[in-house]
Amino acid sequence: MSSRPSSVLVVDDESSLRKALRTSLTASGFDVEEARSGEEALGTVQQHQFDLVLLDVSMPGMSGIDACRRIRGISPQAGIVMVTVRDHEDDKVRALEAGADDYVTKPFKLRELTARLRAVLRRIRAPETAEPVFLRAGNLEMDLRDRILRRNGEEVHLSPKEFDLLAFMMKNAGAPLTHAKLLQSVWGVEYGNELEYLRSYVRMLRKKIENDSSSPEYILTEPWLGYRFRNPSDPDSLPVATED
Amino acid sequence: MDSPTGTGIGPSGFGPWSGPARTVAVKWLDDLDMRHQYHHGVWKSARYALIGSVVAALLTTICYRLHVDFASVIPLYLLLVVLQSLTGDFGSSAIVAVLSTALLDLFFTEPLFSFRMDHPLNGLALAAFVFTSLVITRLVIRVREEAKSAKLQKERLNRLYQLAQQLLGLDPDAPLGEDFLEPFRRLFGIRAVSIFEADSAELHLVGDTRQDLGSKTRDSYIRGLDLDDHDSQVSVRRLQTGGQMKGAIGFEGLQDPAETAGALTALTAALLERKIAFQTASAAAAAAQTEIYRSAMLDALAHEFKTPLATILAGVGGLREAGSLTAEQEGMADAVENEAARLGSLTSRLLRTARLDNENIRPRMELVDITSMVARLARQYSARSSDRAIFLTEGQEPVQALADPELVRLMVGQLIDNACKYSQPGSVVTIAIEHQGDFVAIRVSNNGSSIPRNEQRRIFERFYRGEDARRSTSGSGLGLYVARKIALAHGGALDLETGEQGDRVTFCLKLPTTKDELRHVLTA
Repeated sequence: MSSRPSSVLVVDDESSLRKALRTSLTASGFDVEEARSGEEALGTVQQHQFDLVLLDVSMPGMSGIDACRRIRGISPQAGIVMVTVRDHEDDKVRALEAGADDYVTKPFKLRELTARLRAVLRRIRAPETAEPVFLRAGNLEMDLRDRILRRNGEEVHLSPKEFDLLAFMMKNAGAPLTHAKLLQSVWGVEYGNELEYLRSYVRMLRKKIENDSSSPEYILTEPWLGYRFRNPSDPDSLPVATED
Repeated sequence: MDSPTGTGIGPSGFGPWSGPARTVAVKWLDDLDMRHQYHHGVWKSARYALIGSVVAALLTTICYRLHVDFASVIPLYLLLVVLQSLTGDFGSSAIVAVLSTALLDLFFTEPLFSFRMDHPLNGLALAAFVFTSLVITRLVIRVREEAKSAKLQKERLNRLYQLAQQLLGLDPDAPLGEDFLEPFRRLFGIRAVSIFEADSAELHLVGDTRQDLGSKTRDSYIRGLDLDDHDSQVSVRRLQTGGQMKGAIGFEGLQDPAETAGALTALTAALLERKIAFQTASAAAAAAQTEIYRSAMLDALAHEFKTPLATILAGVGGLREAGSLTAEQEGMADAVENEAARLGSLTSRLLRTARLDNENIRPRMELVDITSMVARLARQYSARSSDRAIFLTEGQEPVQALADPELVRLMVGQLIDNACKYSQPGSVVTIAIEHQGDFVAIRVSNNGSSIPRNEQRRIFERFYRGEDARRSTSGSGLGLYVARKIALAHGGALDLETGEQGDRVTFCLKLPTTKDELRHVLTA
């Protein structure tokens, strides 16, 4: 985190929620501005640079998805987190496709939100250096040059595709990764619908890297959407989700 | 008359005048009608014959006075017979032909004023005359009849066309009642028309029936037989659409029922089919519209419930972030946060259930470790329901199934939630996982409550809520319905198990486990 407080633009048509978020995020160390609609948000983003935009999907007038696409055009470096109200994965997929970095579903705990915001900030602020040689998460260490994975210091045998998949997930730790994105990034652009492929590779990876593959701590399932790699060493990593 | 003109009759009965008096009156009226028609025909023939005879007598007088000879007078009589045939019927024409022959013999062949003949050639000529005149009469009458029949046919077609036009102009969704029947009566001059619609069991009648046409129409449908009674001039035809009997239509006083009834019935059946198709389409459109509203309503509900919860959570989080809370206040903030989050989960689950209620469920199958999933759910509900003891018993081996994890979680969560909700505080809820052949059985049971026998069969019905449930707890009546729908979509089952003990409720969810070879492929 830099010493300057990170600026967040909260875009929501509900004034009470905006107010609560402004107070709470300010208390959490963010510098908060508000916008009541997608249109107002576009105007504000054109005038000021924001580190983060917290954008509601369902708003009267311009939809959150459209606003996301246009804000991404105006301010490519800003991190965008969408707030969805429906559990429907379609909204989340559309948000990610429109350029959002992450999403949270209403109602969310403040800790969950700030963790998401900080994780996004860190990802977008990570220096664009040359390809790292080592990736580390919890008790895993990946040597990208020699293509070796070590768990608790012991080498774990991975097939080439398993290695590529895990490497891609670790590089994007914390970010939601849709099935299509994973398939296209690891297998090739012509892939996208071969979910069984992906599921069987994830299953094998979990067996090899998780303590209990039925209660994974690294590769978390984003229901009906894809996966998210969790780095337990990350201070902003969330506890393993409790489902209901 | 059982009903005044243009009165629809419900399925329950007919007009006030019925019984023997009515039957006698109807017969008398019919006899009167037929006698009247017969006498009318005879008098008409006699009148034509009389006019023809007078003209023949006049012709004889003139020709006799003018001394026209036999050979010249024959064509004049022939002309008379032809003219008679063109205007009168066969009977009167035949009478005029025979009379003409007799007059020719009496006044124009020797000896005069006698039926005898001196020259056999004259006899031959008279024979030729009578034969020719009768043949001409017959031919002319036939041509006239055919022309008349063609005219009638044309008129009938024209009326049918007008009828079709008028009927097609009616509201396709309206019942086939008075407005529908009136054009039949008006255009075809029918005394009474009635229609019985099987779907609604409604009988409609217009006109002035003397034969209890309504009952006959309904009886015809019930017996599955058409009816043609020439004496009473009643014809009833069954209405069939798409190979199914949909009702019957009856006519009283229809001219040429053999020619007309079929066409009228076909037209009615086509319109009935159109009405059914229209109603089906309307129902489908209404269902689609309802679904749009329902979806919009669910979205609005999700928004209306979740946004205030998000505000509460953001507010509580802010209080904590602001610091300076005592340990007690911190605990209260935790409680508010946890309860609001729980309310959020509950809202999500209810809305998801409401959505699944009307959707075709398409499970997104993956290999699911049922044992650990159920164990996690048991832990969550145990933490939440402090006044219920939740126990999990599992088999030796972890059980896996090909299933949609989200849907299975929703379904098992619903069963545990029900077991907690409908049992008394202090009750024991047990969850047992057992591998049974190709299935995994998850039994969720609670003690201290029961489902009355008469409600057991109905609890999986949509929106059904038992007597006690309605009194004691809130609910939508959708949970078990949707849970069973999910189980069936997985190729499994969800049933209520009734045991010996009366104070125990057990639901058994069965899901197909993966076949060994399939599991091998999936885990390879």
